[in-house]
Amino acid sequence: MNAEHILSEIREANLSYLMLAQSLIRTDRDQALYRLGISEDSAAMIDMLTPAQMMKIASGNTLLCRFRMDDDMVWSLLTNHGKAAANDTTSRLHASILMAGRHREAA
Amino acid sequence: MRTKSILTEAKQIERAVTLINLGARLQVLESETDLSYERLLRLYKEVAGKSPSKGQLPFSTDWFMTWQPNIHASLFLNIHEYLNKVAELDEIDTIIKAYQLYQEQTTAQGLEVLLSVTRAWRLVKFVDNGMLTLTACSRCGGHFVTHPHEIAKHYVCGLCQPPARAGKGAGVGAITLGSSRTSSGKASVFGDLDSNLEPCDLLAATGAEALVGQPKKNSSSLLASRR
Repeated sequence: MNAEHILSEIREANLSYLMLAQSLIRTDRDQALYRLGISEDSAAMIDMLTPAQMMKIASGNTLLCRFRMDDDMVWSLLTNHGKAAANDTTSRLHASILMAGRHREAA
Repeated sequence: MRTKSILTEAKQIERAVTLINLGARLQVLESETDLSYERLLRLYKEVAGKSPSKGQLPFSTDWFMTWQPNIHASLFLNIHEYLNKVAELDEIDTIIKAYQLYQEQTTAQGLEVLLSVTRAWRLVKFVDNGMLTLTACSRCGGHFVTHPHEIAKHYVCGLCQPPARAGKGAGVGAITLGSSRTSSGKASVFGDLDSNLEPCDLLAATGAEALVGQPKKNSSSLLASRR
């Protein structure tokens, strides 16, 4: 991957993230807050973005969305590491309970 | 009598319709809207196409303590708490939205939607009245539905430490433990295939078919050898 390629990939990802986020917020704002894990203020900002603004924000050299599973417990549940006993569905359910319990990241 | 606003009424009817579509019992509607019993009954018949079920609501907190329901209830309540913190909604709207998210998640994972919206509503009431609460598991840190005076320091959730006979049921859509290559593996794989057709599931199913195919061959070869 050369630099130009990286930049265009990042722009693609940012753009689709912003578009998805905006349509989620416009469909159901409150459920979107849960799905996206963002604060009310950020949601309001994304909601008001025009397409031109979106293009501008998307073309940078950093990604706009952040990794949400910065925690060993959730990560190992999702990847099924170290716990051979539980099966996939159950681990995913466990991970969802843990993730749903995090309101700090949003607030 | 205060004059009723038509707008408020429209909002309440919309709410009631959503609740009926989610499968709520009439008692929930009665308590969450100002509409009269007769109007609700008519609305129910119109939306659901049948008369509402009669009888008392489930009222026990014990149901939420059994293994599988506890996991479902904990997932719902965590979502509910999340929405409660981040969004400013009326209590009943929080329940509706949290329930929709819970329903979405369980069906996406091919699980049975064990918690009905009526139970979910009861659960929130139980928590409001301090009859049930969320306690953090000392091992995974997740929050689970428990009785209020659980000793938080030693509490371990049902997923970190499942009870002896948990997860052994062969029912489709039940939470299971252990890998699916057990004796009931075939049934669960086909259960998955029925409930959600994701590409990865299809792959797994075709793989499983290859696995299931083998014993059949074996049995036919056995028959052949007997002949």
